[in-house]
Amino acid sequence: MSTSITGTGIRVAAEGDIEDGEALKVPAETTGHDDAIAVFHDGGTYYALDDTCSHGQASLSDGWIEGGEVECPLHSARFCLKSGEPQCMPATAAVRAHRVEVHDGAIWLHPGAPGSGEEATG
Amino acid sequence: MSLPRRIAVVGAGLAAVSTCDALRAQGYDGELTLYSAERGLPYDRPPLSKDVLLGKAGRQDVLLRPERWYEERRVELRDGTPVLEIRAHEGGLGLSDGSVVRADRIVLATGGTPRPLPIPGGDDPAVHLLRTWEDAERLRERLLPGARVTVVGAGLIGAETAAVARALGCEVTLVDPVPVPLAAVVGDTVAGALHRRHAAEGIEVITAGVERVERRSAEVVAHLVGHDEALVADTIVAGIGIRPATELAERAGLHVGNGIVVGLGQRTSHPSIHAVGDVARLDGHPVRHEHWEAAQRDGEAAALGILDRPVPDRGAPWFWSDRHGSRLEAVGSMADAERIVSRGAFMAFGLRGERVVAAAAIDRVRDIKAARRIIDRGVAVDAVRLADESVDLRGVLR
Repeated sequence: MSTSITGTGIRVAAEGDIEDGEALKVPAETTGHDDAIAVFHDGGTYYALDDTCSHGQASLSDGWIEGGEVECPLHSARFCLKSGEPQCMPATAAVRAHRVEVHDGAIWLHPGAPGSGEEATG
Repeated sequence: MSLPRRIAVVGAGLAAVSTCDALRAQGYDGELTLYSAERGLPYDRPPLSKDVLLGKAGRQDVLLRPERWYEERRVELRDGTPVLEIRAHEGGLGLSDGSVVRADRIVLATGGTPRPLPIPGGDDPAVHLLRTWEDAERLRERLLPGARVTVVGAGLIGAETAAVARALGCEVTLVDPVPVPLAAVVGDTVAGALHRRHAAEGIEVITAGVERVERRSAEVVAHLVGHDEALVADTIVAGIGIRPATELAERAGLHVGNGIVVGLGQRTSHPSIHAVGDVARLDGHPVRHEHWEAAQRDGEAAALGILDRPVPDRGAPWFWSDRHGSRLEAVGSMADAERIVSRGAFMAFGLRGERVVAAAAIDRVRDIKAARRIIDRGVAVDAVRLADESVDLRGVLR
């Protein structure tokens, strides 16, 4: 993985590097954010959320990604990939969503910017 | 029935707290009171046999909800307040101070108590049981490096406790009359792999029953069925299952049989009383699902039942168990399987015709999530592909 920073966006991967149903964990050292950020690929759309589940100490990038949601590997709490809102117990708090953009053949992460899913161009 | 304005929840485990959470999420805005026999904020039990025994987690780390949650959700916690009586006919609870509090719906979340060893000496104070925070604290003080610990029962709690005791440097012996514990639940392959880990980690594993416990000053001795040699230890831990705490329900005249019998929406035989968690058994099902997620989902179902809303199907049950740094997970019911298909040494599927009814695996988090969806969606499967580890289970779903 090669990352580079332009403006406020961080290039985290080339398009196609993150397979459908997979996620990339971008460490806090790279994002400058207080948590690692997971960048998810769900059916051609990319999303980014804080990586740590709001319920337990688990990495959402290891979760199950499907239908616009990620299911935590530890206790099966589900979060909306777009908003970070919890969809079921045991989570009751949202995880923060971040903006992802796809352009110039790459996936760009904007830590701290409000989230919205970004469709792949290719 | 008219909608309730005053709901009392008896118990303070996950099922109880989940009931409160779900009631508020469903828009219930009446009174909501949790009666906890124990003191302090309600806590989560799975860490007790893991991080709490290891000394890695304190009480604050294992709270089910932070203190502010009770204020935000307007859940009144009455801790240190055992409920002595359910007054079903008049809709109320009798408390230990002699007072009676009114409630138009009662949720019984009384859980279970660990079964003591049903043998002579089984009630010796050196025989520890593990269910509550206090139990864990007491046991933790005994798990010192070099301490000799005999664990009776190699199911979930016993196996986890043995693994933690070993990690803490204890000399651990694990005794169970079943040669491969959990085989009926997760299949022979996975159960065998799990059980062999104990010996690999330096635990002495003995297949035997215990017939008598004898105290010799500071030592405690377990006499085994059919063995001349006895196990001398500093501490014995018994993990042989729980007995559902049905006393309140029985005295209130509810239908009880291996738990409080409930129907859809966790309704008991009394229209204003619901039961959730380890104490409840779904009518028509032989076993109680004494697991974490089942307790949580019971709470959600009870909230819907209380508010007279439809209760969705909850799909295959799921549980996990952590030992020796590995995670066992199982979904569905292996008892319903006609045959078992292994996928390598660490995963197995239970099949009934072309459908998967159960799966179990060690350290295969994503595969278990896939298996759960294969079960819940009723996907027709090819056993050869399931057994082939090079086939992505995600592909089986599509």
